[in-house]
Amino acid sequence: MIDMQAVSKIFRTDLVETQALRSFTLKVETGEFVAITGHSGSGKTTLLNVAGLLEEFDAGSYTLDGHDVTRLNDNERSRIRNEKIGFIFQGFNLIPDLNIYDNVEEPLHYRSMPAQERRERIMRSLERVGLSARMGHIPSQLSGGQQQRAAIARAISGDPRVILADEPTGNLDTTMSNQIMDLLQEVNAAGTTIVMVTHNPELAQRAHRQIHVVDGQIAQIHQFNSRTASQSATPVTL
Amino acid sequence: MLAHDLRMAWRSLRRNPFLSALMVGALAVGITASMIAITLYHARSGHPIAWKDDTLFAVTLDLRDDDPDQGFSRHPEYPPWQLTYRDAHALYASEIPMRSVMMYKASQIVTPEREGVKPFGVNIRVTTADFFRAFDTPFLFGSGWSRAEDDAPGAVVVLSKFMNEKLFGGANSVGREVMLSGHSYRVLGVMGAWMPRPKYYDPNNGTFDIPEDVFIPFGWMQALKLSTSGNTNCVSKRAKVTSFESLLAEDCVWLQYWVEFRHPADRDRYQIFVDNYTNDGRTHGRFPRKNNNRIVNVTTWLSMWDVVGDESRMQVVLGLVFLGVCILNTLGLMLAKFLSAAPIAGLRRALGANRMDIVRQHLIEVMVVGVLGGAAGLLLTLGGLAVLKGWLYSGMLIGSDNPDRVALVQAFVHMDVSVILFAIGLSLLTGLLAGLYPAYRIGRLAPATFLKTQ
Repeated sequence: MIDMQAVSKIFRTDLVETQALRSFTLKVETGEFVAITGHSGSGKTTLLNVAGLLEEFDAGSYTLDGHDVTRLNDNERSRIRNEKIGFIFQGFNLIPDLNIYDNVEEPLHYRSMPAQERRERIMRSLERVGLSARMGHIPSQLSGGQQQRAAIARAISGDPRVILADEPTGNLDTTMSNQIMDLLQEVNAAGTTIVMVTHNPELAQRAHRQIHVVDGQIAQIHQFNSRTASQSATPVTL
Repeated sequence: MLAHDLRMAWRSLRRNPFLSALMVGALAVGITASMIAITLYHARSGHPIAWKDDTLFAVTLDLRDDDPDQGFSRHPEYPPWQLTYRDAHALYASEIPMRSVMMYKASQIVTPEREGVKPFGVNIRVTTADFFRAFDTPFLFGSGWSRAEDDAPGAVVVLSKFMNEKLFGGANSVGREVMLSGHSYRVLGVMGAWMPRPKYYDPNNGTFDIPEDVFIPFGWMQALKLSTSGNTNCVSKRAKVTSFESLLAEDCVWLQYWVEFRHPADRDRYQIFVDNYTNDGRTHGRFPRKNNNRIVNVTTWLSMWDVVGDESRMQVVLGLVFLGVCILNTLGLMLAKFLSAAPIAGLRRALGANRMDIVRQHLIEVMVVGVLGGAAGLLLTLGGLAVLKGWLYSGMLIGSDNPDRVALVQAFVHMDVSVILFAIGLSLLTGLLAGLYPAYRIGRLAPATFLKTQ
């Protein structure tokens, strides 16, 4: 699903040059659930942004779902983001003055999709995350967990091939976090590839594979045996 | 997508109502200032008889002494606006024009036959017969007179709609008698509402005055020794006006002269005729300057008269400059507003919007601001014009019971459909100008920049 080969990303200012990703090579199989861990500033979010075509990179190549996306123009990148990728953010990133229904509808607007189909997809997504009864509420009327579930509904409404989640439980308590993780695992079990950035080692262990990033490079990979549960881990130190 | 963008724009504006109101207000004030200036300009710059612009011409001859200081307007290069009786009479003999009109303004006393209506003074136009057809005056009843009645002269009269209402209660008065300064005239025609704006056929006594209420054949000028009540300018130092007869003989201008050609090309033939006439006059000691005879259409005529005027143009320029300042202010506010909402734009980019989607959505938002500013500006303009009507122009109505005069004054402060359409276009353009750069800027932002902070 994701095939990055020697990807490098450098942030430049007038005074400083920061190498966020250094010859980063990563393969994520279709249907896999991968957790990315690492300290702040290690390059986790940059990796996610590059994987999500939100940022361009300076060197290397990137193939997403069989398509070479290394050098695409803005329109093509936007279309692939819309059709193949779902995003979940730590801060939920719901549009505050839109109700949940409209928030979930937002990515569907950028496809030429009939209103009826949009409506069906939204209702299906909201039912999957258990928010059908809250679709008329605006985000501030919902709890953090409910907001993140709404964000997940938005991410899955377009039937993406991969979901990129950046600290999806970072703003939630343990109970809520587990609920969100359960939901993500359900989504993954239904066939959607998930790449999740997290600080929480326990949550990372619920993925199939944990990749630890240090200074823009993969430092360690924990391969768990099962794709649906996190029993034993086989650490591989690089 | 348009409906979605409009909904987003409306929500975005509601998100910060104070800032939105400030932007709408800034545009509204700018549009108001420019629209008031444009409305007044528009009222002055209309072409009252555009369909005859290539056949209807004012005729002027330059018979001034060879004295460089002798000017009759702000443009000393122009010949006097009017003709002497001698020259007008000579030109009137030409058969090149299809119609020729020599005329002047006078005043008479009307004695109404209706009981209870006191005699009153009235402005009349003493004119040759072609006046009505040359200037396309509408008729409610009857018609104008023939050239034969100019010469006779026939005791006939044409009344304005207002005068007919005043004297005959608006009934068909053709064949009825009207007493003018003790002489009885038979009504031959009653004109319909006719208010050329500007009063191009004789701007000498006010470019924005209403037409006269009574018209009589030119032959009455000599028969009654009827002097002009308009401007008279003696263009020769030798001229001495001591009597009516001397007014006719001396080089003093007081007659307006117009011609209408059957074909536009006849104008050139007529120019040669007029130039030959003044060349001939020069051999007899008149027309000391080299030929400066002007045969000009209505457009040029109004331009020579500075009907629109530099003040009006300056008002429009100042109004537009002020609008420009308001656009710049709105641009700044818009940029601040868009940048403060950049995380949402970043989120939309993450969800699949491309740059054009973001630019378009923000442009629609600025167009909404433009339309709201335009609507508010239109209302303010109407209010401003109402104030002007009540304050600036109210003096023009004092002592007048003529509804045409009221209509003339109101026409200055009236926004017709073309001005309203212009205002709508201006508001959309204004919104576009104010929002193009902010929308472009927000469209260029990297989507990832604000996602963490949203």
